[in-house]
Amino acid sequence: MKESLVDILCDPLDKSDLELHVTKREGDEIIEGKFVGTVTGEEYPIEDGIPDLRPPDMRDE
Amino acid sequence: MTRDDLAARRGVETTVYQPAEDSALLARAAVDGVSDADRVLEVGTGSGWVAGEVARETRADVVASDLNPHACRQAREHARTLADESGVGFEVVTADLVSAFADGAFDVVLFNPPYLPTDPDNDWGDWMERALSGGESGRDVIEPFLDAVGRALAPGGRVLLLVSSLTGYETVLDYARERGFGAEKAVEESYPFETLTVVRLIGTD
Repeated sequence: MKESLVDILCDPLDKSDLELHVTKREGDEIIEGKFVGTVTGEEYPIEDGIPDLRPPDMRDE
Repeated sequence: MTRDDLAARRGVETTVYQPAEDSALLARAAVDGVSDADRVLEVGTGSGWVAGEVARETRADVVASDLNPHACRQAREHARTLADESGVGFEVVTADLVSAFADGAFDVVLFNPPYLPTDPDNDWGDWMERALSGGESGRDVIEPFLDAVGRALAPGGRVLLLVSSLTGYETVLDYARERGFGAEKAVEESYPFETLTVVRLIGTD
């Protein structure tokens, strides 16, 4: 995902802002990292360039 | 698509919905209805095919989402291939409908929803059921989508929603109107067992 995507995402639990933490980049792509809810503290992983913003109770892979 | 088609398709693919007639119709309406400067979200993207067509045929910014992480991985792979071939890709986000997208983020939201009315005793319990089944009424996913999508639309934003006659065309449109949308037909195709319509919904408030 591109860093600019953060502007159109929100915490699915309360629509508050998310804070982006990056652990791996390739060029301008963010490959690994996480989003953290600035209000809820909930963590949402970014794996292989895909942020997983499912609410915690819907993560039944 | 019909149950028989589905049965045949389920033999080869059980986790991610693959493009079918409904996908082609939605892509056609989307490519016609999207402007270069638009930011577009495709909800329930599955393989990512419709999102890819819109990204390739317009200069719009395209985001694709699905609740199914397997679908998201397939869509991301498709986006990568497209970016390698044409220089234009799209973003992929695992999310439930529009819940993870900011207020007013999109000019256009596309959705080919799970719409088949399904016997409550028929419990496949897999991702393909989630991709196809709209519950007993066929509207179990469409209605929460219509409840929520207005929040994610920018002023003047519109929704392109695929509606099957199996789901009850007028019932879906009435529901959308009750949620404050004006509705008009974008494209329509008839098949032996259903008529598929892409409806353009525009916020009226």
